[in-house]
Amino acid sequence: MRGWDDGKGDRDESRRRLREALSQSKSDLSRSWKIYRRSLLAMLGLFMVVSVSLVAIFAEDIAVEHPYRNLQDTEDKWSIDYEPRRADPFSEECDWHEQKIITNPNSPLFSEIVVAESDDKVGDDNRYYRDTLSVIQLIKLEDSLGYDLNLSLLSIDPSNSSLLVLSPELYGNTSLYAGVWVTYEFDNEAMHHWWLPDGHDVCIFGTNDQGHDLFSKVVYGSRVSLKIGITVATLTVIIGTIVGSISGYFGGRVDEVIMRICDIFFAIPGLILAMAFVAAMNQITSLTIPIWLGILFPIFVLAAFSNTYLNSNVPDDDQVSDQAMGLIMRYRGVLLALVAFFFFVVWMPGASWPDFFGISESRSWRAFASLGIIAVLGTIILADRKFILNTSFEGGLGRIRDSLDWTNPWRYLTFRTLAVFVSLALLFSFSGNEGEEIVLIKDFDRLWKVQAALIFTGWPGYARLIRGQVLYVKEMTFVEAARSVGARPGRIMFRHILPNAWAPLLVAFTLDIGGTILSASGLSFLGLGADAYTAEWGLMISESRRYFLLSPHLMLYPGLAIAVTVLGFNLLGDGIRDVVDPKNRR
Amino acid sequence: MKLHEFVVRRLLLLIPVMIGVAIFTFAIAHIIPGDPAAIQCGDKCGVIVDYTDDGEPISAYEANRIRLKMDDSVTVQFWRYITDLAEGDWGESLLYHRPVVDVVKDAAPITLEMSFLALFIAYPLGIILGIISAVRQDRMFDHVSRFFAIAFVSLPIFWFAMMLQQILATGTEHGGICDPIFGTEGGCFPIYGRHDPSYTYPVDGYAWYYPAGGTGFHLVDSWFVTDEKLATLPSEWGSNWLLFKDTLTHLALPCAALGIASAGSLLRYMRASLLEVLHEDYVRTARAKGLSEFRVVIVHACRNALIPIVTILGFSIGGAIGGAVLTETVFAFNGMGRVAVTSIQYLDFVVIMGVTLITSVIFLLSNLIVDITYAIIDPRVRLE
Repeated sequence: MRGWDDGKGDRDESRRRLREALSQSKSDLSRSWKIYRRSLLAMLGLFMVVSVSLVAIFAEDIAVEHPYRNLQDTEDKWSIDYEPRRADPFSEECDWHEQKIITNPNSPLFSEIVVAESDDKVGDDNRYYRDTLSVIQLIKLEDSLGYDLNLSLLSIDPSNSSLLVLSPELYGNTSLYAGVWVTYEFDNEAMHHWWLPDGHDVCIFGTNDQGHDLFSKVVYGSRVSLKIGITVATLTVIIGTIVGSISGYFGGRVDEVIMRICDIFFAIPGLILAMAFVAAMNQITSLTIPIWLGILFPIFVLAAFSNTYLNSNVPDDDQVSDQAMGLIMRYRGVLLALVAFFFFVVWMPGASWPDFFGISESRSWRAFASLGIIAVLGTIILADRKFILNTSFEGGLGRIRDSLDWTNPWRYLTFRTLAVFVSLALLFSFSGNEGEEIVLIKDFDRLWKVQAALIFTGWPGYARLIRGQVLYVKEMTFVEAARSVGARPGRIMFRHILPNAWAPLLVAFTLDIGGTILSASGLSFLGLGADAYTAEWGLMISESRRYFLLSPHLMLYPGLAIAVTVLGFNLLGDGIRDVVDPKNRR
Repeated sequence: MKLHEFVVRRLLLLIPVMIGVAIFTFAIAHIIPGDPAAIQCGDKCGVIVDYTDDGEPISAYEANRIRLKMDDSVTVQFWRYITDLAEGDWGESLLYHRPVVDVVKDAAPITLEMSFLALFIAYPLGIILGIISAVRQDRMFDHVSRFFAIAFVSLPIFWFAMMLQQILATGTEHGGICDPIFGTEGGCFPIYGRHDPSYTYPVDGYAWYYPAGGTGFHLVDSWFVTDEKLATLPSEWGSNWLLFKDTLTHLALPCAALGIASAGSLLRYMRASLLEVLHEDYVRTARAKGLSEFRVVIVHACRNALIPIVTILGFSIGGAIGGAVLTETVFAFNGMGRVAVTSIQYLDFVVIMGVTLITSVIFLLSNLIVDITYAIIDPRVRLE
């Protein structure tokens, strides 16, 4: 009869073996790190990506200013010595200006006229000016023939530099329909504040035409770009994986149809297709809810399926595939760590969740969304009885650590992980102070349209990639072995084929983040992306075109930011390729 | 499989894809908001233009609906769209008030000229640098060229184009690095446009002296401008060579912007492909025979390494047309990319359909040619 100690010995033995296996996987981690470290370019890429991610996370601390605050208004706060850089359109000594304004013949009683809007004027120094100057005082008012008019006819609204025609005497005075000449004094000082060159002490990149600090805008732009890149790449990977694995696994007519659809997508240049798609979505005014569903639905489906199949009680065939693929399988730990890094370090804080879900405007919206999440979460947890049955803290942290299965990351794509994800989302959606919140993107839905368009055009690439991988892995012996012990297609797919097929996928994913950032900035450049003056790099370049000759710094820094970010992801992807696919390494 | 069987098979495979693209464009056009009948009549939609036989008034809007046959069901409209496409009637632009075929016919050569020239520069550059990089594997040149190859792929094409303008086309007084050398104003290259603006119509930049029935490729057409027309031009312009040079200098910066990414990716492909070949047995045999390293690399290895490069050509044509959207916007070329952007901004979906369709046709045909070339070079492909 076996006593206590026998059982304990068995347990210890199994513990020991597990620990051995874990240390084995750890050494694999360090080995792949060694391979990665060998390449200088790869290390450079990692450095770039980490730096950009850090900038995105700590944007509030790095940026010196709110990206949309006109520095003209904050002079007292910053006490920057703004030197008058521009020669003003009207000379320094002469601070009055004469302008003809056309009164509105239909309602001269109450017509509002903006004065002193110097519309793209070119001054003597070849600089453009476009600003509304603040009017201090009216000096003279004449009708079109040069006769003096009573000055009290007009009054000034200094807040928006407009003239308000108030007097009933104007009514019916047809001679004024041709316009009046106004001579007014304007605030010469106001012009000096908002246009700084780069190399300034505080605003090191200078300011743009709106007086926004360019450095802060570039810093906050990293959040927008990383968010777009990672969101789009993740969702295209999910959709592409589902479609591609169906196509590759079932083959035959299904495969033929899916591949022809992919061919159609490939036939149209991606940028033109994305542009047309954005235009087609023009009448959709709110995308928040569709996007919510678009993100959550594929994850739910994948989680539901993989959970079911990974826990199915098929005769133990796990070891078969783990050893068969050698290197790729052994380095999965690294890949998982990288993915975890992207998700928890870059994506979530970088996305600044309240912004991300488009509910940053009011707290009630946020509370409503959170209640929805809680309801969904509760349903899932209640439905997933295993979650309750398995949750026990016997053995403490060690138990949890021992139960970590580094070799099969797909196992963690379960409802429980989902619960963790969504709770984190909740946490972030509640974080953030209502008063000081920075609204990064001025029009959420327009940027969502860009993301939806890029997802729409991007998935066929992944589908084709995954299909090829699945076709390749399908022929391996362990798949045959699994089939022979009675595993069903779903389990073979999720337990045996996909874990072995996802290494090239990770490479493509990393490279695609860079590509997506490029395409999104291209769309913004064409005016199809973010709203005007949003801190989006492509848009900032597009807006700098007007001041092309005057202030090249306006386009230099956002462009460099795009280039560095994309280069970082490209180098990182190349480095990962060297690690996971040593055959390709030259 | 014989070669002609392969070609026929590939041609047959094109048919479903083309039908799919047509369905696609039709669907996009019907999803895009906006009533073409309302757009065409503008603010005069309520004007009575005609009466029915019963004496009922027909407004301009209703007349447009009847003329565009918009009251038919979607399937009937789609069938008519397909048949019209086949007959060469691609509809009339809502923005330009011209047939789409004409719009595309004017715009396509501009884009193609630019893309082809860009690839024409990028291919030799990428291949030669790739060969050097592979031969000097893991040395300084290799590292540097690899870094720059990846860096060029990572550059936003519109930003690179604008930087080129800033550096090379603005002159030293505006922070550029060079002053006029080709007789242009500003820097050593013209800043935008297809021609020197002083000898074109001011509105659309149309160079009137080019022959009307020409190819549209002004690098070619400039040699066919007749002497009578040349005589009407100012003397510093009055020769075919000067017109050719004008076109070429205007194309230089757009092509550099467009080609640099292709050159970068080509360098990487060529390097990988050549390194693979250099490990083959026949290369070792060639070395063992005592051939010079140059001969081994150029004659034996490169010929085989170049085969996979052919396939990339098809994709880079698609990439170049996509990139042309951005380059043409920066350099103010009225090519297909610019037409696409304008038509999308003004929701002129007839032109959007036409441009999408024609770009996909160009892409598919170039891929077909590439595949056939590949099948001729490497007969193993036909066996799959």
